[in-house]
Amino acid sequence: MSNTFKSDPIEFKPTAALPAPKSTVGPIAWVRENLFPSISNTLITLFIVFILISLIPGVIDWMFISANWSGTNQEACVSDGACWVFVKAWSQQFFYGSYPTDQLWRVNLSLILLFAVIILSFTLPASFRLRVSIPLFLVLPFVCIAILDGRLVGLDFVNTDLWGGFSLNVLMAAAAIIVAFPFSFLWALGRRSNMPLARSISVIFIEFFRGVPVLALFFMGSVMLPLFFAEGTQVDKLVRVWIVLIFFMSGYMAEVFRGGFQAIPSGQYEAADSVGLSYWQKTLLIILPQVIKVSMPNILATFVMLFKNTVFLLIIGIPEVLQLLLTALSNSNWLGGHAVEGYVFVGVIFWVCCFSMSLLSNKIERDLDTDKRD
Amino acid sequence: MTNVEQQQTADDIIIIKDLNKWYGDFHVLKDINLNVKKSERIVICGPSGSGKSTMIRCINRLEEFQRGSLIVDGVEMVEDVKNIEAIRREVGMVFQHFNLFPHLTILENLTLGQIWVQKKPKAEAEAVAMKYLERVKIPDQAKKYPGQLSGGQQQRVAIARSLCMAPKVMLFDEPTSALDPEMIKEVLDVMVELADEEGMTMLCVTHEMGFAKKVADRVIFMDAGEIVEENTPHEFFDNPQVDRTQKFLEQILDH
Ligand SMILES: Nc1ncnc2c1ncn2[C@@H]1O[C@H](COP(=O)(O)OP(=O)(O)O)[C@@H](O)[C@H]1O
Ligand SMILES: [Mg+2]
Repeated sequence: MSNTFKSDPIEFKPTAALPAPKSTVGPIAWVRENLFPSISNTLITLFIVFILISLIPGVIDWMFISANWSGTNQEACVSDGACWVFVKAWSQQFFYGSYPTDQLWRVNLSLILLFAVIILSFTLPASFRLRVSIPLFLVLPFVCIAILDGRLVGLDFVNTDLWGGFSLNVLMAAAAIIVAFPFSFLWALGRRSNMPLARSISVIFIEFFRGVPVLALFFMGSVMLPLFFAEGTQVDKLVRVWIVLIFFMSGYMAEVFRGGFQAIPSGQYEAADSVGLSYWQKTLLIILPQVIKVSMPNILATFVMLFKNTVFLLIIGIPEVLQLLLTALSNSNWLGGHAVEGYVFVGVIFWVCCFSMSLLSNKIERDLDTDKRD
Repeated sequence: MTNVEQQQTADDIIIIKDLNKWYGDFHVLKDINLNVKKSERIVICGPSGSGKSTMIRCINRLEEFQRGSLIVDGVEMVEDVKNIEAIRREVGMVFQHFNLFPHLTILENLTLGQIWVQKKPKAEAEAVAMKYLERVKIPDQAKKYPGQLSGGQQQRVAIARSLCMAPKVMLFDEPTSALDPEMIKEVLDVMVELADEEGMTMLCVTHEMGFAKKVADRVIFMDAGEIVEENTPHEFFDNPQVDRTQKFLEQILDH
């Protein structure tokens, strides 16, 4: 196209650009390239389309069209779709456990604080982001415990037996990963250390907590941990579980950090040494911030894993969301077989949370890619 | 082997005696002897792998050595952390790949050591930092991050970062060899100025012969872990004494 811009604007007649050849761009080309590139792929595509067509209408009908939405008890579920009334009736239990109804704002406040700190840690200006968000994160679990427990801050005491539901899954996972953070950093440092003792202790610790299934750890936590506490001290069940999760998590995160350490060029250590920084100044001011930055996507992935693993707490009788679902399913007023609704519901809320975290980590990865600084 | 007299005098700020270093079985530094006077400018050259980096990195203990002694400004380099810290306070280093801290702004790169090592108040540290950023002619980049600067600018920042710590000795390890040709001059200019105006003691590993002729008091030629020849730049380039030096000079001057 050779449209030269002439001095008289009236004579300027741009020819319409030719459309891109159909075969390389556009939805049709995309479909052809990705779904029907060869005979075998075409067969697979057709097979999947067939399955979807035969399943989706039924699922949609069950979940939405014929579903029962209104009512408060089992008798309200008359049509043969899903009985969402069941989930609705139990929703407070599922989210908050047996936490007193008039005190629920305290759970909400804890969750809001958690999200506020997370959002702050991604939106604060880079120059003091870590300096502000790390201390905030580190005090957060203890602030939340104080709010939920109530005694320290002059609120009504709520026994940990009453804490529960999905909010407990979220807060438990968050409190565990936050406290695990500094520990895992130390384990990773130990594993890299030149001191044989520090190194072997770190290796044994990390490999133990990565190697033993989390279920076994929970049992050990509830049975064995009390043996380590002084005779006669009653240690709260949730605290014991918290400790187990912290250990479990710090084993995994130590390996995440180790990968992060390996990504830091040796020139960074040498520059820090030649400026005269001490070992801890070098580690905390130069190395840690860069390790956190490169490890962020993996930290989030590890968190997703821990978060999902919190449902195993039901095995030792902690009223987390799945445990409450089982209670609800065996309730004599709700014996109509609502298991599918319940599991779909729990699956969806976990999926929403985990999917948002993976979106977040994709965003972080993209940011890391664009501002590559050497 | 040497034309310049090696006498230990009170002005010697660096005294290296019979320094030997091995990497496993590999004898990388062999009986290195070198005295450097205050304000002396030394250029070190030699083929790749001859141990130039290793030698100057011993001076601020980025590398340890197994035998011999090394004294910097009256402090002997021994295992003691106190001595190592004392020596690192006196010695600044500029690296081939700049090694700026990527997560900190230029200004923070320059103030970090002053604040944490020298315990200066932040405002004072920033004033010093700005002074040196002006010396290297990039005060307007103070708020940027290293990744946003060109290689030449980053290397000038790295020089300023070292100068902020008020070192008595500056070590340069091939400061221009990772730079595009058009940026080499801006870095060398800064180094020439540093030599002329500050009277800084400088040890510089470089193959920039123009720079060597202009500022060096002595040129040292290393090969296979030994100091093979040392001389004034004039004598060194025009009248090399040793075969290996001649061969090396032919190679680098051919291009
Ligand atoms: N960490 C190390 N381990 C083993 N050998 C090394 C190490 N660092 C350097 N060397 C070897 O020591 C020799 C000298 O290296 P170097 O001082 O970097 O040479 P130059 O700076 O003169 O090019 C080289 O042969 C190099 O391969
Ligand atoms: Mg080198």
